[in-house]
Amino acid sequence: MLNAFAAWLLHTPVTAFLETAAWAVPTIQTLHILCIAIVFGGAVFINLRVFGLIERDQPVVAVLDRFLPPMAIAIVVLAVTGALLIASEPNRAMFRVVFWIKMGLVLLALAGTWTQRRLILVGAARDEGATTLGVRLFAGVTLLLWVGVIFAGRWIGYATGWPGSPT
Amino acid sequence: MSLTDALTALQALPLSTAIAESDWIFPTIESLHVIAITLVVGSIIVVDLRLIGVAARTRPLAAFTAQFLPITWCAFALAALTGGLMFLAKPVSYAGNIFFLAKLLLLLAAGLNMAAFHLFVERPAHQGRADGAARLSGLASLTIWIGVVALGRWIGFTI
Repeated sequence: MLNAFAAWLLHTPVTAFLETAAWAVPTIQTLHILCIAIVFGGAVFINLRVFGLIERDQPVVAVLDRFLPPMAIAIVVLAVTGALLIASEPNRAMFRVVFWIKMGLVLLALAGTWTQRRLILVGAARDEGATTLGVRLFAGVTLLLWVGVIFAGRWIGYATGWPGSPT
Repeated sequence: MSLTDALTALQALPLSTAIAESDWIFPTIESLHVIAITLVVGSIIVVDLRLIGVAARTRPLAAFTAQFLPITWCAFALAALTGGLMFLAKPVSYAGNIFFLAKLLLLLAAGLNMAAFHLFVERPAHQGRADGAARLSGLASLTIWIGVVALGRWIGFTI
């Protein structure tokens, strides 16, 4: 099924365009990295606040409210630019195990961020100062997941396709 | 000793050949480089948007830069270290790559812009004056760093 999808993608105008315009892929990758900077940066800043290392004069909820909206927009742009990068070489990323590891890590990191937000909001509603052990634990785990996403992303470029993948 | 001799000697170092020949060392350094760059850019964007006046306008500038610029500097140190290690893998090729040289020039411009900000803009801006200068500093910084990321990607396709 994946092979059929890749074969179909290969003959779409999008792939044809991305293959001919030499500037397109590096431009899309630049946008992709800038959006990673917003998502990963935002996650780091939120978690540094959770650990009480920056912005101590601001409530955790205020820091959360400041960074989550741009992070959400960047996630959408990442999905679009990521899809375009797959379309630029349909026989590549989707046939590498590390790509699917990255997708799994992205889902876990998003779930972690969402859970963290819930924990912080619940804590703030109860006026617990919002840095309970659970929140801190989620902060650490979520950050590690984002680091894993970046490593896996870079490794897509170096991994080889699994047996039977199209060439 | 010419520059080419120096670069060739650099390329022959045991550390350089180890990075160039290993399957996993280069991608690992590169991953750390991406982490460092995203933190440099992420923290710079926050400060730049505050300077330009589109975000966090009510926060005092001094407190704001004190929070985020240390993150920028730590991440930049990691970016420079990992960048230097990647350079060691192919010094001759990098030194002859126009995008690599342009990236170094842009990094110099980023440093000069930051120095100018600290020397001439920061103090008046803290007192609520020099809004225009602060805006210009932020815009210049944002533009330069987007250019740095783009050139970094172009190096990857031309090296």
